Amino acid sequence: MIDFARVQKELQECSREKDSSGIRVSPKSDNLARLTGIIPGPLGTPYEGGSFEIDITLPDGYPFEPPKMKFVTKVWHPNISSQSGAICLDILKDQWSPALTLKTALLSVQALLSAPEPDDPQDAVVAQQYLREYQTFVGTARYWTESFAKASSLGVEEKVQRLVEMGFPDGLVRSTLEAVGGDENLALEKLLSS
Amino acid sequence: MASETDAPEISSLFERLLRHRDLYFFLPFILGVSNNSVSRENGENPDQETSQETTSQRERIILVNPFTQGMVVVEGDPNLEALLRGWANKDGQPPASKASIEAMPSVKIGESEDGECVVCLEEWKPGEVVKEMPCKHKFHDECIQKWLVIHGSCPVCRYKMPVDEEVMGKKGDEERSRREIWVSLSFDSSRRTGDSNQVPSTDNEMEG
Repeated sequence: MIDFARVQKELQECSREKDSSGIRVSPKSDNLARLTGIIPGPLGTPYEGGSFEIDITLPDGYPFEPPKMKFVTKVWHPNISSQSGAICLDILKDQWSPALTLKTALLSVQALLSAPEPDDPQDAVVAQQYLREYQTFVGTARYWTESFAKASSLGVEEKVQRLVEMGFPDGLVRSTLEAVGGDENLALEKLLSS
Repeated sequence: MASETDAPEISSLFERLLRHRDLYFFLPFILGVSNNSVSRENGENPDQETSQETTSQRERIILVNPFTQGMVVVEGDPNLEALLRGWANKDGQPPASKASIEAMPSVKIGESEDGECVVCLEEWKPGEVVKEMPCKHKFHDECIQKWLVIHGSCPVCRYKMPVDEEVMGKKGDEERSRREIWVSLSFDSSRRTGDSNQVPSTDNEMEG
């Protein structure tokens, strides 16, 4: 059984510290077993300026079993599957400890963005490129950040505000954004066609 | 944990794979699992198989190393989900021995002592009686017991608790019947990796 009291405490701590770390965690539903994490791309890396969404599922044994995490935002990195978003990180597997939290785990994922380990790859294609053509790798990673991690980096409130300014009612904008998973363009299409 | 008992036979295989550094590369590239044929051709989706229901009796696992174009076929009747979970847990610290868990002293939290049990994140209450590990880190009795029976290491500093010899010995014996077929594919024939019917016929046995 998931220790929900602990998860609650973790969420409170995250919201207290979200300004200093830039890391955010919020529940997807009421049961707290499904959450969404957001990590900013580390400065000085091809991921800088991007905002990366991570899907978090807590197993029944949490915190005695690691949380399941994968990237929702597409990312070009040797230890993250460019197809599925699966993350190759030891603390999310055998090196998990119950002293770790969702926040520290997400900090580790953020650190992984800064320090790829191409010798222990999750995505072989990316890892080969990283090792053989580093400049191409940097270019691709930066391009993916631009293409996939920036549009979603805008907060929901900003999206809501822009769509409301176009003349759509606030409530409808919010429910439509939610229905399309936060994609502003899709939401606009839907609003226009309704 | 249930997953450990579900797939003991396959776990020893993975322990072996993990010991060989070059074989380690196979692990992320599990291509597909099916009853008699390989249903998946896309080697770049190593994680999709976890969502697939695998209830059949005899399953075949194809591991592909994209660096050398080599692949290994493992036949047996593992429950894949259990295998993957078991393997994820496999490399962690084994459970602490019962004796070592029982030997941990109970200590009383001082009146002005700050801090919390990092497992449940509850702050210490003055006068509360808690367990102290040999590394001096303190936890609620219930909290630390739940952890140590899974992994015998300190959650904070990874201090290793003594392990039951018996448990360690047993794992090595769990060899069981299975077939491993090693295939070295030349670059041109690598397209055939998705075709399961070709695989067993081109075997050259290397690992026993």
